[in-house]
Order: sequence, then C-alpha cells, then structure tokens
Amino acid sequence: MSSTLVSPPLVKAKSLACPNCGGPVELRGFAHTLSVVCPQCLSVLDPTTPQVQILQTFQGKERIQPKIPLGARGTLSGIIYQVIGFQQRTVMSEGDFFCWDEYLLFNPYQGFRYLTEYEGHWNFVRVQSALPVATRSGGRIAMHFEGKTFLAFDAMQAQTSYVLGEFPWQVRSGEWAACQDLIAPPYMLSAETTDDEITWSLGEYTEGTDIWKAFKLPGPPPAKSGIFANQPSPYRGTVGSAWRTWLWLNVALFGLLLFFSMFKSNREVFKNDYVFVPGRSASAFVTSAFDLAGRESNVELAVHTDLDNNWAYFSFALINEETGQAFDFGREVSYYHDSDGSEGSRNDTVIVPGVPSGRYYLRVEPEMSRSLTDLRYEITLRRDVPNNIFFLLAALLLLIPPIFKTVRSARFEGQRWRESDYAPKTSSNSGGDD
Amino acid sequence: MNNPLFLLYGVFLLGLTGVAEYRGWSLSSVNQQKVLPKSIRDNPGAYRSTYGGVSRYIGGK
Repeated sequence: MSSTLVSPPLVKAKSLACPNCGGPVELRGFAHTLSVVCPQCLSVLDPTTPQVQILQTFQGKERIQPKIPLGARGTLSGIIYQVIGFQQRTVMSEGDFFCWDEYLLFNPYQGFRYLTEYEGHWNFVRVQSALPVATRSGGRIAMHFEGKTFLAFDAMQAQTSYVLGEFPWQVRSGEWAACQDLIAPPYMLSAETTDDEITWSLGEYTEGTDIWKAFKLPGPPPAKSGIFANQPSPYRGTVGSAWRTWLWLNVALFGLLLFFSMFKSNREVFKNDYVFVPGRSASAFVTSAFDLAGRESNVELAVHTDLDNNWAYFSFALINEETGQAFDFGREVSYYHDSDGSEGSRNDTVIVPGVPSGRYYLRVEPEMSRSLTDLRYEITLRRDVPNNIFFLLAALLLLIPPIFKTVRSARFEGQRWRESDYAPKTSSNSGGDD
Repeated sequence: MNNPLFLLYGVFLLGLTGVAEYRGWSLSSVNQQKVLPKSIRDNPGAYRSTYGGVSRYIGGK
C-alpha cells in the first residue's frame, strides 16, 4: 500500500489577541476552529466573531502540560498531522476519578483525528460518518461496523475537565457527555452522546513508542499500566496456531505409533505353565534356554495366574547364558474380590528394556504364604514388543505448550474484561467484604 | 508456522519417542544388571535376587 505524505501548507498561523488577558493566541485550524483556548489565561474564546467573544474563563486550580505539545507535527498512517487541541476528560467510578487525555490533530486535507491516552495506552481515533448496526454476540450487547463485531465494554458519563488549544466545536470545560465504548481489539468503537448529537468514532490501538517516533518526542512514552480495553492480545492467533501445531504433531506421533506397531517383531520366544505349591515346590528354578534375536530391544514378560483372594511374588532374573549378564526384577501379583468388587489382577506384565541379542534363560523364584493353596501360573516372553507408554507420555507432554498458551491468553482476556462494565460476574467481584 | 519453539519441542519429543521405542526402553524398574556365574544354571537357589527374599503381605479386601 502506498502512502502519500500530505503536509499542511506552511502558512503562517493566524493570530489574535485574547480579550481577557491581551496575550497572543494562534489559530492553526483555520476556518474550522470554532473555539480556542488562550494559552496564557486559559480562557475559552470564540474566534469566529470579530470581537473574539470570551466563552469561558479558566476556573481550574492547576495547569496541565500535554505530553505532546500543541503545534507538534507528526506522521501517522502516512499523513502529517499537527496537534492543535488538547482536552482532559474525567469520569467518576465507584468514588474514584479517572482521567484520560485527548489530542486533537489536524491536517487541512484530511481533517481532524484524535489521539487518546490513558495510563500509557494510546488510540488513534477518527470520527465516523457511517452508523454501526446494533446486534448481539454470544448474548452480549454488540455493534456491527465495517465488517467487525464490537462487544460492549463500558459506558460512562465523562466530563471535559481541562481544555487547551483550538477545537472545531465550541468547547467548554465542565461539559458532560455520555460515552460508550465497544471493542474488537485492536479497534474501539466509541459513541459520545450530548444533548444535540451522537458522535461515533473508531479508534485503533497504537503503541506509545510509535506516537513518540511519529512526533519525534524526547524520552520514552509514558509507561503502560494494566491492560487496556482494545489492547491487542499478544496471544492473538497463537492459541489457534499452537493447537493446529499440536494436531499435526499428534498426527505424526500416531504415524510413528503405527510404524512401530507394524514393524516391531513382537515375537513370542518362550511360554510355559507352572504349578507352585507353597512349602513343597523348590523355591527357585530356571527355564530352558531360548534365543533373543535381532538388535538390542525389549523383552516383555507376562505372568498369568489363577490367584483368588491371594497374592504371589515372583523374583525374576533374565540371564544371558553366554555372558552371565542378568536382568533382575520382581513382580507382585495379587487379586482380591468380594461382593463390593475386586482389587488387583491375576495377571501382570513387565517390559525389560534394552536386552541385547543372545541365548537366555529365566530364573524364577515364586513366593506365597504357606497356608494358602497351590498356584498355577503361565509365563510368556515376547521379544521386541511395542511399548505404548512412551507414545502416551509424548501425547501428554505435547499438550503442555498449547494449554499453557490457552491459559495465558485466557488470563490476558480475563484482565481485560475485569475492567469492563460488562465483565462476567464472579463470586470474587460480587462480594463486598473487602 | 507461528510456534517454532513448540514445533522444535514436538519434533524432539517425537524423536525421543522413536528412539525409546526403537531401543526398547521401559519405565519398569527392572534394570538391575549384573554378571552371574554360570553355576546359577545348575543351582538357581544359590542366587540371591535383589528383589527376592522379603516376605510380603500386601493386604487385600
């Protein structure tokens, strides 16, 4: 998109004398200016009359220094604007006063724009001639405008508490207007209602650093405090993207699972039945030898018993016949049941990791209580079996980043809407104990 | 792709899962490796298992 720098004509500003204090008052808005504030005595003057009528004299106690000086020029959206007016608006909410600043910008070809600032959050605002259409979104009050749905955020009565510079309307300090803000970050749609009219304007959240750069202002912009109504979320778009990435990674994980399920040999290498008579059978025995072929891989040992309200413990050692290397492990099997249900299992499975190829035998040493009945059990060994636990773990670990982003995003939105008149009601903000 | 770190993390996890599966890793506590004398084959009772020799009763219903 090309941008054309449209500079205001370098004509000398019109000047007049303040009828209240005699000081010089410059006019930069040409014929558009319907009121101007004397920078010396802060009287509001009407420059459209030959005698420059005093509309209002300054009744305040302190002067406010605008953060962007009047007369400053800056390039915003490719257009050069000059700051010609400043006003501070004040609202009272729950006994506290809140103020925000509005800067009136002027370009003779583009007209007027506004910069608003509240606690380091800036909006570049343009008055709209088109009207939004009332609608609802998710049961909430909303407006449809320029293809976007704006959700109602807050409504307030705002008073103009301080004015400086010139304005294309007859400004008065102390004027009241009903304001309503609706948001579709980074945009804010605002309605300002007076006795005479309703003015709709569209603001776009703008970084303070961009404003400072545009107007070549010294030092850093005021630090941001909190999260502003239409401040764009740093997580916007990242949550959906994270979940899409998660989906594709899970597809890849599932593909990996299928691959190993198909190509793992999962071969039975040993199977035998045994009977253990507590107190009479030999406490330990070894099986016949069997081959574990192929690369280093796992071996699954499964024990199937006929335990009934009983327990057994097996000490196993998978021993390499040639090298004497042993994989030593124990397994506890117990199964109890009554009318209330059951506990444990008659069967158990264990996977012995990283077993090199070779000829092996198994040493088995069962244990049971002497007073109990015989135990029949079957031992099965399988080589190179799929172990789905790692896929399950990977699937769980893959959930962490998108959940983390979702929570962070929800927390950001929660902070945004906590300042809203339309915030969801919760038990924490409905109580009045504190 | 807006999530390069997540993608890297995911690829690492997939790689680790693949290696674990290929090498036959397990989470089971079975990896007590030792070298036993060949006489164990003929006298299995002489071997003292790390996990054996402890009477245990785990209760039940």
